[in-house]
Amino acid sequence: MSLTIALVAVAAIIAAAGFYAFRKASQMRSAAAGMPRRLNSLPVYHGSYVALWAALPALLFLAIWTPVQSRLVDQAVLATPAGQALPAFEMQRDAILAEARDLASGAISAGFNPESTALAPLYAAVSSHFATIGGAVAIVLALAGAFLAMRRVRIDFRARSGVERWIMLLLVGASLIAILTTLGIVLSLLFESLRFFNMVSPTEFLFGTTWSPQTALRADQAGSSGAFGSLPLFWGTAFIGAIIAMIVAIPLGLMSAIFLTQYAPAKARAWLKPILEILAGVPTVVYGYFAALTVAPMIRDLGLAIGISSASSESALAAGLVMGIMIIPFISSMADDSIAAVPQAMRDGSLALGATKSETIKRVVLPAALPGVVGGVLLAVSRAIGETMIVVMAAGLAANMTANPFASVTTVTVQIVQLLTGDQEFDSPKTLAAFALGLLLFVVTLILNIIALRVVRKYREAYE
Amino acid sequence: MQSLVRKRYAAERRFKLFGLAAVGLSLLFLGFLLATMLAKGLGGIDWMFLTASDSTQPETAGVWGALKGSFLTIMVTMLLAFPVGVLSALYLEEFAPRNHWTDMIEVSINNLAAVPSIIFGLLGLAVFLNFMHLPRSAPLVGGLTLALMTMPVIVIAGRNAIKSVPPSIRDAALGVGASKMQVVFHHVLPLALPGVLTGTIIGMARALGETAPLLMIGMRAFIASPPQGITDPATVLPVQIFLWSDEVDRAFVEKTSAAIIVLLLFMLLMNGLAIYLRNRFERRW
Repeated sequence: MSLTIALVAVAAIIAAAGFYAFRKASQMRSAAAGMPRRLNSLPVYHGSYVALWAALPALLFLAIWTPVQSRLVDQAVLATPAGQALPAFEMQRDAILAEARDLASGAISAGFNPESTALAPLYAAVSSHFATIGGAVAIVLALAGAFLAMRRVRIDFRARSGVERWIMLLLVGASLIAILTTLGIVLSLLFESLRFFNMVSPTEFLFGTTWSPQTALRADQAGSSGAFGSLPLFWGTAFIGAIIAMIVAIPLGLMSAIFLTQYAPAKARAWLKPILEILAGVPTVVYGYFAALTVAPMIRDLGLAIGISSASSESALAAGLVMGIMIIPFISSMADDSIAAVPQAMRDGSLALGATKSETIKRVVLPAALPGVVGGVLLAVSRAIGETMIVVMAAGLAANMTANPFASVTTVTVQIVQLLTGDQEFDSPKTLAAFALGLLLFVVTLILNIIALRVVRKYREAYE
Repeated sequence: MQSLVRKRYAAERRFKLFGLAAVGLSLLFLGFLLATMLAKGLGGIDWMFLTASDSTQPETAGVWGALKGSFLTIMVTMLLAFPVGVLSALYLEEFAPRNHWTDMIEVSINNLAAVPSIIFGLLGLAVFLNFMHLPRSAPLVGGLTLALMTMPVIVIAGRNAIKSVPPSIRDAALGVGASKMQVVFHHVLPLALPGVLTGTIIGMARALGETAPLLMIGMRAFIASPPQGITDPATVLPVQIFLWSDEVDRAFVEKTSAAIIVLLLFMLLMNGLAIYLRNRFERRW
């Protein structure tokens, strides 16, 4: 018997038990007719209660059993004489086992290795053995749950409360997934980064200025010794994301917001705003391709024309420019909200004193809206720092710390992609460095976001 | 005196012009991008392009495999992220006590929504591929990773939608004798659903355009045949665009631009659907 059959059997038990409870509860209700309705909950709740008690223990068991079973089967097969005869090299043995598993379940029809074809029937037999055990336990759990729950079905049984307790458990479980995700991110990044810091010292990583992660695999291979100083990467990230992109995005975003809220007629604003939002909705890979295809050659020609002979076609300016354009809607919408939140009384007071609209904006509205705008800028910087595709496609791979916008720099996210889409085995310091970079990136964006939200929240309270 | 006033009015005009120029520049860039893509790619869109799978020859390469992979991935994402997100939003907004722990949960969800997408790719690599040994480059793993990324967005949109349902609805239901759970599921949730759906569609549109996390979980390989199920190796449309953009053959430029047009069309459709739903069904209380 396989686990799918067990699953179907459990489902049948659940449906039967639930329906039976529903019938019984309906009969009790009609039997109690004449007296005022004494059945505490609707029959459907009785049915659901019994069905839930039959379903959830059994399904939970099956969910835990399925991965456990594959490991148990693997261990059992390796313990048999045929399993002992397999080669001792772990990767090859795992490959043969995986093939035997696929052959036994019918996923593939012929194997690569001759040993797996011989192993497949044995695998199928052991697998079926364990599946029978697991399936039997699941069915017993389902029947037991259904039976125990049926005993409670009476006229005054609070079935609805029981069902609602289950639903509450479901709600709490769903919320826990959100925390688990955060924990998962932090823990997995930390775990792999600690393995990295065992191989490379944290001070070299944080403060070193040479980034050259090519480690020689064998003694005779040409390659540098593997320097993991991440300062050039962070400089590149800051240069493209925090400096060039912000130089483009802050004036354009802020002035767009001011124009749309203060000067544009309502009808124009109604369609201009959604069009600006489209800028935020375009996938970043499209921006990256456009940057690499059109903007970068233009920038290089510009650089050559003004006399910088070393202008690269993967310049920081191209990537930063396109990234800035992408960020405009973020700054624009945050600035929009902050400016709209400034009380009209302040604006009216300034206009009444004789100031022009632009003077009101420059001297009254903007200073009042400044915390919100600053918060928006910080959030935008955090978004720009974490951006991957534009820089992967438009910026380069050379880690150098230069202030020349026409030169090629690399960023943290580009290096993460480079390190993990190569052909290194997973334990080498090269691939683990990606996790260390990811951890640093996570921490930096987290700090920026917390500061930004705190600034925005404090500002909102000031005008409540 | 008059010259001072004139100078101030001139400054006012310059300022207004500056604002107009800012809006104009942004729109100009958007137009430039769209025009470039249309010019380079429109000729490449034909029926064969839409139904053929990827190949090494640019003449026969198509996006069908990528479209199917995207579809399967988004299905998995939606099936996982939507229930978890909505149920979390319901719990956090209606049932959770206001204490230190729930504040921390709210802070962590807000931060998750702003984490760079590549970090989710690293999480997917470390947990789903290396720890749980799920099949590499499968829509299942891609969908799981994107679901983790989209769920905070849905939770935030859901909380806002639920918050906007007026308390009078809840009080009226309680007054008629409903239990708290019945109030939430029979009254609050149906009224908040349009807002939740709008947020979900926008989140899905974002997930559709994501490339970096899927590169991390291995969708970088060359897939010549479309996936048959959610555990077959597949690729998605943005990753396909990325792979084609790396090709040296200049003929791939047309294919890449054509694929970009297809992707942008989907984005436009989904965002348009979200806006339509919002305008049609959302009630201002």
